[in-house]
Amino acid sequence: MAASSVKAARGWPVLALGVRNRLLRLPGLTQVRWSRYGPEYKDPQIDKEYYRKPLAELTEHEKDDLELRKTQHIKAAPATKTSSVFDDPVISKFTNMIMKGGNKVLARSLMTQTLEAVKRKQFEKYHAASAEERATIERNPYTIFHQALKNCEPVIGLVPILRGGHFYQVPVPLADRRRRFLAMKWMITECREKKHRRMLMPEKLSHELLEAFHNQGPVIKKKHDMHKMAEANRALAHYRWW
Amino acid sequence: MAAPCVSCGAAVFYRIFLGGRVSLARRQGVWKAAAAELQIGAGSQILRLRHTTGVTTKKNVAALRRETYTVEFIKKQIEEFNIGKRHLANMMGEDPETFTQEDIDRAIAYLFPSGLFEKQARPIMKHPEQIFPKQRAIQWGEDGRPFHFLFYTGKQSYYSLMHEAYGKLLDIEKRQNQLQAKGLFSENTKTKDLIGSRWLIKEELEEMLVEKLSDQDYAQFIRLLERLLTVQCGAEEEFVQQFRRSVTVQSKKQLIEPLQYDEQGMAFSTSEGRRKSAKAEAIVYEHGSGRIKVNGTDYLLYFPVTQDREQLMFPFHFLDRLGKHDVTCTVSGGGRSSQAGAIRLAMAKALCSFVTEEEVEWMRQAGLLTTDPRVKERKKPGQEGARRKFTWKKR
Repeated sequence: MAASSVKAARGWPVLALGVRNRLLRLPGLTQVRWSRYGPEYKDPQIDKEYYRKPLAELTEHEKDDLELRKTQHIKAAPATKTSSVFDDPVISKFTNMIMKGGNKVLARSLMTQTLEAVKRKQFEKYHAASAEERATIERNPYTIFHQALKNCEPVIGLVPILRGGHFYQVPVPLADRRRRFLAMKWMITECREKKHRRMLMPEKLSHELLEAFHNQGPVIKKKHDMHKMAEANRALAHYRWW
Repeated sequence: MAAPCVSCGAAVFYRIFLGGRVSLARRQGVWKAAAAELQIGAGSQILRLRHTTGVTTKKNVAALRRETYTVEFIKKQIEEFNIGKRHLANMMGEDPETFTQEDIDRAIAYLFPSGLFEKQARPIMKHPEQIFPKQRAIQWGEDGRPFHFLFYTGKQSYYSLMHEAYGKLLDIEKRQNQLQAKGLFSENTKTKDLIGSRWLIKEELEEMLVEKLSDQDYAQFIRLLERLLTVQCGAEEEFVQQFRRSVTVQSKKQLIEPLQYDEQGMAFSTSEGRRKSAKAEAIVYEHGSGRIKVNGTDYLLYFPVTQDREQLMFPFHFLDRLGKHDVTCTVSGGGRSSQAGAIRLAMAKALCSFVTEEEVEWMRQAGLLTTDPRVKERKKPGQEGARRKFTWKKR
C-alpha cells in the first residue's frame, strides 16, 4: 500500500482494479476531486428489457451503441439499484433526501409507511364514494407520488446576481433536475417544520402528497409564490447573461 | 571458454539500459490511459481543476540538454543490440534465430531479478528504436537550402501529410463526379468495423511525424480523415487505416469458472467476491429452489434489511432464474451492505458458468461482474476527515 500511495503522490500509473492515480492530464493543474473509477468507466445499464430486445427491432443508433458498449469498461452497479420492477428512481432519490445521518433503513421504512398511508386514505375514500366518483379516485400510491411531485415543480426560479454591489433576485429558467430537486426539497422541509410535534412523518407526508396531487396545499402555494416573485422581478431578467 | 563468456556477458550487460537513465520515447502506459479517454468519451465531470505554479529554473546542465543521437550512433546501437540478443539466446540455451522480444524480456527478468516497485526502473533490453527518441536529421544541405519544399512552414511533415490527404480527397471526388456524369455511380456505403478501432491520439501523431502539433492541427487532421472515410473509396482505405489503432474490442476478460460435480452428480460452481473489506465465497448449485444459506443461516434471518435481500436477488432476477438455483455462501468482514454486495458479486461470477456468453456480456454491462473499487478514503493531516476541513477561524 505504501508503494501505491508513493506512486499516487508522484502520479504514476498503478495497475489494479481500474484504480486511477494517473498523471495530471494538463500541466500545472491539480485534480481536486477524483473517483476510484477511471474516466473511461461508463455507468451500467440495469434495465433487463434493454438486453432482451431482439436484434431486428434495434435502430442503427442502438446497434452502434451496443457495439460500442462491448469495448467499454463498466462501473459496478450501486447497492441501491436492482432490475426489480419495484425499483423506482424517483422514490429512491426521495428516500435519500429524507435520510438523516446515513440511516437508510429508517428512511426507507418511512417511505413505505407513507405510501401505505396514501393507499389506505385513498381506499377509504374509494369505499365511501359513490359509483361515479369511484372512477376519478386514483388509488395507486406511486402515480399519486409522481403526480404530486410534478405538480410541485416550479417552472421558473430566482437566482441572486451581484450587480453594482447589490444582490438582485433575477428570474431564470430552471433545468429539469433542479426543478425535481426543488419540489422534493420543499415537500420535505414543509413536512418537517410544519407538523405537530407528536405527529409522525408518514402521516404528514401522505397528507401533503395528497393535497399536492389535487393542486392544493402549502407546497403548491410555495411554488405559486416563487412564480409570482419571478413575475414581479421580470424587469431584471436582462441581468441574466446565459 | 572463459574469455568468450566474459565478452558475451559484457556485451549483454552493455545493452541493458536502466529505464530511467535514458528517457523512453513513449510512455505508453501513461498516455494511453490518460489520452485515450479524451478520445473516447466525455471527461469526468467531477474534476475541478486547480491551478498550481511550478518552480522552473533554467540550468544548462549537461544532463538536461537534449542529447542528439547521430545516425551512426543509432546504427551502432542496433548492431550491438542484435549481437547482444544472440549472446543472450545462447546463454539461455535457445535458438538465436527465433528469439523474440518477449523471450528477451523473460530472460532479462530471470538474469537480473529486480525487486523495485517502479517498473520503469527495472533493467530492460529493447530495440534502440524504442529507447532513443526519434530525432530528425538535418533538414538542409551544405548550401543551406532545405530539402523539403514545406520547410519554411515550420511543420513540414504535418503540412505535407495534410497536403497528401487533401489531394487524395480531391482525387476521389473527381473520380466520383466522373462516374456520376457517366451514370455509373453506385452508393455503396460499407461501414467498416469502426467500433473496434479509434483514431490515433495527438501524442501518437506527434511521435509519428516527429514534430510538435497543436490541438487545432490535430483536430483539423482528424476532421480531414473523417471526411475521407465518409467519401468511401476502397483505394484510400490503407491510407486511412494507418491512422487507426485498435481498441480492446470486448472487455471479455471475464474468467468463467469451470463446473464441478459433487457426490450426487449435481453441478455447482464456486466463486469469490469482495466489496470494501467484506470477502464472500458463493457456491451456486445448478438445480434448486432458490434457497440461499449465508454462513449457515437462512438469508432472511441473516439480512433483515430488504435492500440487502434485493441485492442478493438481483443477479438471478436479471437472468430470469429466480427460483432455479440453490446457493451456499460464506462471508466475513465489512458491514451489512458490503457483505451483501460481496455475495452479489460472488453469485454473479459463479452464475457465469451456467449461462451463455451473451448473457455474461449482459451481466457485465449491467455492472454485476465488476468489483467495486470504492473504499473508504483516508483521513488527511491538517483536515478533520477525508474531505472535511477544520472550522475556519478568521483570527
